[in-house]
Amino acid sequence: MLVLLGILSLWEGWRLHALRTQMVAGAVVGDDTFPFIVGAALVLLGASILFVAKPPRVKVARPSGEPRMRMILGAGVLAAYWVIVPYLGYTGSTALVSTGLFRAMGGYRWPQALLLGGATTGLLYLLFRVWLLQPLPTGLLGL
Amino acid sequence: MDVLGHLASGFGAALSPTNLMMAALGSLLGTLVGVLPGLGPTAAIAILFPLTTVLAPAPAIIMLAGIYYGAMYGGSTTAILLNIPGEVASVPTCLDGYPMAQQGRGGVALGISAIGSFFAGTLGVVALTFFAPFLADQALRFGPPEYFGLMVLAFTVIASLSGGSLVKGFAMAFLGYFISLIGLGPSTAEPRFTFNWGPLMGGVDLIALIVGLYAISEVFIGLEEERVAITQKIRNVFPRLADLREAFPAILRGTGIGFFLGLLPGCAPGVTVFMAYDVEKKLSKHPERFGKGAIEGVASPESANNATSSAGFIPLLALGIPASAPLAVLLGGLLVYGLQPGPLLFQKNPEFVWTVIASLYVGNVILLILNLPLIGMWVWLTRIPYGILGPVILLLAFIGAYSVRNSMFDVGVSFVCGAIGFFLRRHQWPLAPMLLAFILGPLLEKYLIQSLSMSGGNPLIFFQRGISLALIVAAALLLLTSLALVRYTRRRVKEETAEELAL
Repeated sequence: MLVLLGILSLWEGWRLHALRTQMVAGAVVGDDTFPFIVGAALVLLGASILFVAKPPRVKVARPSGEPRMRMILGAGVLAAYWVIVPYLGYTGSTALVSTGLFRAMGGYRWPQALLLGGATTGLLYLLFRVWLLQPLPTGLLGL
Repeated sequence: MDVLGHLASGFGAALSPTNLMMAALGSLLGTLVGVLPGLGPTAAIAILFPLTTVLAPAPAIIMLAGIYYGAMYGGSTTAILLNIPGEVASVPTCLDGYPMAQQGRGGVALGISAIGSFFAGTLGVVALTFFAPFLADQALRFGPPEYFGLMVLAFTVIASLSGGSLVKGFAMAFLGYFISLIGLGPSTAEPRFTFNWGPLMGGVDLIALIVGLYAISEVFIGLEEERVAITQKIRNVFPRLADLREAFPAILRGTGIGFFLGLLPGCAPGVTVFMAYDVEKKLSKHPERFGKGAIEGVASPESANNATSSAGFIPLLALGIPASAPLAVLLGGLLVYGLQPGPLLFQKNPEFVWTVIASLYVGNVILLILNLPLIGMWVWLTRIPYGILGPVILLLAFIGAYSVRNSMFDVGVSFVCGAIGFFLRRHQWPLAPMLLAFILGPLLEKYLIQSLSMSGGNPLIFFQRGISLALIVAAALLLLTSLALVRYTRRRVKEETAEELAL
């Protein structure tokens, strides 16, 4: 991955270098300089990790059972949040999503999750909308 | 105006109702997050950053500094009462703090830790008051090559933030530089790495990155872990005179070691606390008591921890170099508010700098008040179920990522960074070097281009000017020193915890 990003950086540096030599005559450095350096370093470090340094492999146990389910559901609710905010607005979507998160991550029953979600949304509304006057997305419903 | 005059005017501003409230709120929130097992100061600042984004720069940074200090103080509570260090810096505190708690002296251990932290923190701020302006004054002579040298010096910090593997640390640092390149080029404003996609033209937002890497990933990692609450009853937190007499020399030594080592850009609190603990054990007439509940074993590393945290503000404010991950987040906070830390900050925004410095004194007093009589409340708060805490953190993370540029793209970036952060942390790739390089990347690039333009592309310019050469040599020496210190600390961490932990 590091090597690939390094190659991408070198490629972008090359593109910018060609552009600079066309646009600014005589300039010795420009927007391409740093991408070249970063690209070369990433390629070298990536290759070094692969072939030379070989840092010890970290054995990571995959999440399983209930924690895995909570993670998947939590991530799913979060992704849904990003999708629905432009339509439902901040308050409406936060009410839905917070209920979903309390249910998915906390394992609360629906009535409890609804209560917690409603209370959290209300507190966040008061804190950010009313007190701190934070401009948050209003969505199609203007909420 | 002299230093004391500046400080007096800083106190005038720091004691205004708004700033005082922000210092108290920051300390309160920081302590709360620090007390919760598993959350360290970096995650604490990242999670609570959204609350400050709507404030003016001075109260916002005062609150963030309060969160930083508070989380540092709070971290000792779980170390002493649960034997769970939130950060490597709290590992030595566990060694004697937990045995003290088992002997029914947990309250005294917490008390001595708060007193030591207060003493060290305050002495550190006194030194900051007099030393930082002097350092900033010297740095006013800097031109682009010297600033480049300074950025190279900052790069040495990566050695102490690399955790288990130096090569991984440097790889992550260059990944951070890579991400900082996305957006418009500084010379010609030509898009880089944007692939003609509009939202990428503005680059990756720092807060979205921090919130994702530290806060969101932390919540998902927390879902896997069994969180435990403190069930112990804390009786008296006020140490007896005999305890104070026993601990005071250790507090003094810990403060000295923490402060002077903390001045080196490559020395994180994780390094200095072990040094302070080991020195204390070596100097003790009864080294056999260490590890079994010696009060000096708590006093010394806790003082060193806070002295290092205070000392870290000197290179941060005077030179713009963050010595640790939480300070890198604070540096990010300053940049978000349009303030560039470094020598010019003292010249351009003296009111701001002195208000923040004065607020550090105030914050230390607030923390002592919060930590001694209210310890029972903090202990009770650790019983908040993670099923409530996790979702609330995620909802705050959304606002934090959105509110800087009012952009749903940034929210998406923070979610993606959360997933990346989760993966990287589980596989022990250190995040702090990436964050540091992301923040310093644009500056490094700017000074590199300016210097090379001055010299007609000749890189020898960095070695032909005295200060820049001195900075580069200092960076090389510091890197070697840091490597030795990190190796020593890593060995000690492994001896004590049988684990590889990021410093």
